[in-house]
Amino acid sequence: MSSSRAVARQERPTPRLPVDVRATANLVAVLAKYLGVAALFPAVVALWYSEPVWPFLATGAITCGAGLAIERLTAEDVRRVGMREGFLVVSVTLLMTAAFASLPFLFVGGDQLGHPIDAYFEGMAGTTTTGASLVTDFDELTKSLSMWRQFTQWLGGMGIIILAVAVLPRLRVGGRQLMESELPGPEVAQLPERIRQTARLLWILYVGLTVVLTVALASLGWLGIDDRMTEFEALAHAFSTVSTGGFSTQANSIQPFSPAAQWIIALFMLVGGMNFVLLYRGTVSRRPSVFARDEEFRLYMALVFAASIALTIQIWGYDIVRSEEAVRAGVFQAVSVTTTTGFATEDFALWPVLSLMTIFALMFVGGSAGSTTGSIKVVRHLLVGRVLRRELAHTVSPEVVMPVRLNGAPVDERTLRAIAAFILLYIGFWVGGTAIIAIDSAIGNVPLGALDTLALSANALGNGGPGFGITGPFASFAPLGDVSKVTMILLMWLGRLEIIPVVVLLTRHYWRL
Amino acid sequence: MRIFLIGAGQVGFAVVEALHHDHEITVLDTEPLRLAALSERYDVVTVEGDGTSRRVLAAAGVKNADLVIACTSRDEVNLVAGMFARREARGATTVIRTSNVEYVELWRVGQLDVDFVVCSELETAHAISRIIGVPAARQTDIFAEGQVQIVEFDVEEGASQDVLGAPLRDARIPRDSKVAAVIRGEEMLLPGGDEVIRAGDRIVVIGSVEAAQAWSALLAPEGAAVRDVVIYGAGRVGSAIARVLIDQGIRVRLIEASREKAGEVAEALPQARVYNATGVDPDFLERERIGHANAAIFAMRDDAKNLYAASLAKVHGVKFTIGIAHEEVSVEAFEHAGIDVSVNPRAVTAEEIIRFAHDPRTKQVALLEGNRYEVIDVTLRDTSEYIGKAFKEMPVRGALIGAVVRNGTAIFPHGDDVLQQGDRVIVFTEAADAPRVVSAL
Repeated sequence: MSSSRAVARQERPTPRLPVDVRATANLVAVLAKYLGVAALFPAVVALWYSEPVWPFLATGAITCGAGLAIERLTAEDVRRVGMREGFLVVSVTLLMTAAFASLPFLFVGGDQLGHPIDAYFEGMAGTTTTGASLVTDFDELTKSLSMWRQFTQWLGGMGIIILAVAVLPRLRVGGRQLMESELPGPEVAQLPERIRQTARLLWILYVGLTVVLTVALASLGWLGIDDRMTEFEALAHAFSTVSTGGFSTQANSIQPFSPAAQWIIALFMLVGGMNFVLLYRGTVSRRPSVFARDEEFRLYMALVFAASIALTIQIWGYDIVRSEEAVRAGVFQAVSVTTTTGFATEDFALWPVLSLMTIFALMFVGGSAGSTTGSIKVVRHLLVGRVLRRELAHTVSPEVVMPVRLNGAPVDERTLRAIAAFILLYIGFWVGGTAIIAIDSAIGNVPLGALDTLALSANALGNGGPGFGITGPFASFAPLGDVSKVTMILLMWLGRLEIIPVVVLLTRHYWRL
Repeated sequence: MRIFLIGAGQVGFAVVEALHHDHEITVLDTEPLRLAALSERYDVVTVEGDGTSRRVLAAAGVKNADLVIACTSRDEVNLVAGMFARREARGATTVIRTSNVEYVELWRVGQLDVDFVVCSELETAHAISRIIGVPAARQTDIFAEGQVQIVEFDVEEGASQDVLGAPLRDARIPRDSKVAAVIRGEEMLLPGGDEVIRAGDRIVVIGSVEAAQAWSALLAPEGAAVRDVVIYGAGRVGSAIARVLIDQGIRVRLIEASREKAGEVAEALPQARVYNATGVDPDFLERERIGHANAAIFAMRDDAKNLYAASLAKVHGVKFTIGIAHEEVSVEAFEHAGIDVSVNPRAVTAEEIIRFAHDPRTKQVALLEGNRYEVIDVTLRDTSEYIGKAFKEMPVRGALIGAVVRNGTAIFPHGDDVLQQGDRVIVFTEAADAPRVVSAL
């Protein structure tokens, strides 16, 4: 047996590429094969509401079937996926997941989502938890399709690959690098547990938070506090909140719901922006002191607090709304934008310039590393600030040696360089995306303002969601041209994987020896 | 006492020199030349062999020893030798030397199978921190759990008129202190009330910690408390000193020429400012205002570099310089060249080790002026003829009692005070007289 295998290996021609594309395809196909099963959930919802089940069954069948077929075709290449293949695996897996998410839209999306680009846009916006929607008429969506939109965000929030590492025996080895690519934030916090254990506890915590939020929201309906918060809405918004996605089943986002529901959702968006490993240690392991000691957590809370106060003062001062309503609107919008969720309780697109600028600035903050949020992330801001401080000290005293520390431990110089590279690339892609969208909008006569265009690109890259002007929180991205939509798809893809794993694929070095 | 010594290096030499009068010493070393040099000068038994071999230890007669000292320059050898000696010589006290603070910590929590661990780096750091605490001092030692300090001062022209030029009984010397000795040239005086301190004298003061600081202020009025220290060299000695000083709330700047070491120490000591520089570049010294430091400590590996860097630092305005002299000969060279205080880590280590060889009644010993004088902390025998005698009636015979520890509290005695049973006394004496003084008490 072993000798015949050795012979087979010898016979195979020497691969020309340093990247094992077939092994990558095999792994992604295996992931697709299992992912297809997730389509059963909306199928059950469709059955419950007596809606057509076939779009979801077809979606599942196509994904599983394609996965199985490609797995068979590449079966002789079942080998461990190395570090080099890792970048390709995570990049392609996200494209594959978005395609899977977009199939039901393609089948029954109608005029709103039926076009392939539109369907893929909606699928990508869901799986990357961006929450930028092309839907204009929410009444036309079936219950099951609406739930599917919410569910795609939940699948993408904690990440398919992290789920795979948690459950697939095949990823027991080599899973760490894959997981670190998908888990947001720089690799500063070495996870002490075994990688599989970590992946499991992340998902368990994620599911647990979703259940708690669903029950909390649904009980508002049961208690008669919020008549609109049915079990369906509770689950739909729990999916979207814990994953900091931002899709809603409602045209006016969270506005139709009661103040109590808005406060609860704001709290869980805030939790979704925390580092899940820290959250696990602080709550499940009952060591609340870890929160006070974590520098990123402290800065994250401080930033959210400061942003909430700033927005509250503005809203109250401009007399948009007053008293509790102003505080609620201020806190909700601050949390929503900082955690890149994209929910809204007020149409902030109509606010004065100062408030728009405040929200625009918050789009670049993001939540903590190891959370479900997008954008730059608090820990990177923190470390870049410290690197800058060191650079200034070096300008005065070139000889001084100052390790940059996080939570008391020195941070590797390589990590610091990677953070600087990330931020430069982030700005580069943001500016590039802005330019393409601006040009496309000029050609297509799409009425986008300067800040609107800047925010659009920033929001796609940061996986935030709604922006200003015609793409405001209660509006839709439908008026954009196809080029802008494709650009946004690419930006969302880049942003969810934190740019570097994707950009690596564009280098000569990656494909050549 | 029968002492078995493993390692005839500088520490071993210093230990033998201090102990060979009163004890039977056997020295084990792998290097015959060193053993020959040792036996030429002192009456000791020498055995050539490897201290990490249990067979060699047994053959050399370690089991008859009362005290086993492993003081080679290698931690691993000392650890293994100490462990074997502990098995071979059941009743003996084992003392090992180490240069790793981690072993000291392990020993403190009972994880090392030896009786005592002496760490050169840590002892050096403590010696330097004591000197820094009393800036005018040349050397200081702490006795009686920190209540009594022995300080050696150089009296210079600028000293306060409170102590200069008047007979001691009229001079306004700080409370709770006593001038134990005046060293004038080659001569040592145990001063009575008529003695006058002159500029150029070197004096030994025994007193409370506050009194030591008051003396420092009298003798060097311009020397303020040390708040900012520059340490050259971030090796094991330098970083141990930095750690001890930082713990005392002193601002520490470290200068280290090796990039790698500078990085390590910067990671280990966040409170210190670390420079990756040679420390002899005049631009650097000027730009970083090294001259503004209250004190500079030179703890690089090379004595010559320490000497040069110290001279340069003096030129740039550092008032108080402390040099680490790795070679014994460097101590004099440093002092001759104007370095204010020099510390030889091996001598400091030897001093710590020697304490274990004393009479069970003696708690602690400090050596001054090389090994010429000793300060001993000794408990009175119950049959001592001095019990019940007032201090003013006591004869002065080559020794002076600077302080009395009664029920754990230090007392600085006056003429009418009387010694009681169970008292511990802190005595200054010439080293050669020490055994006689101890037996007389």
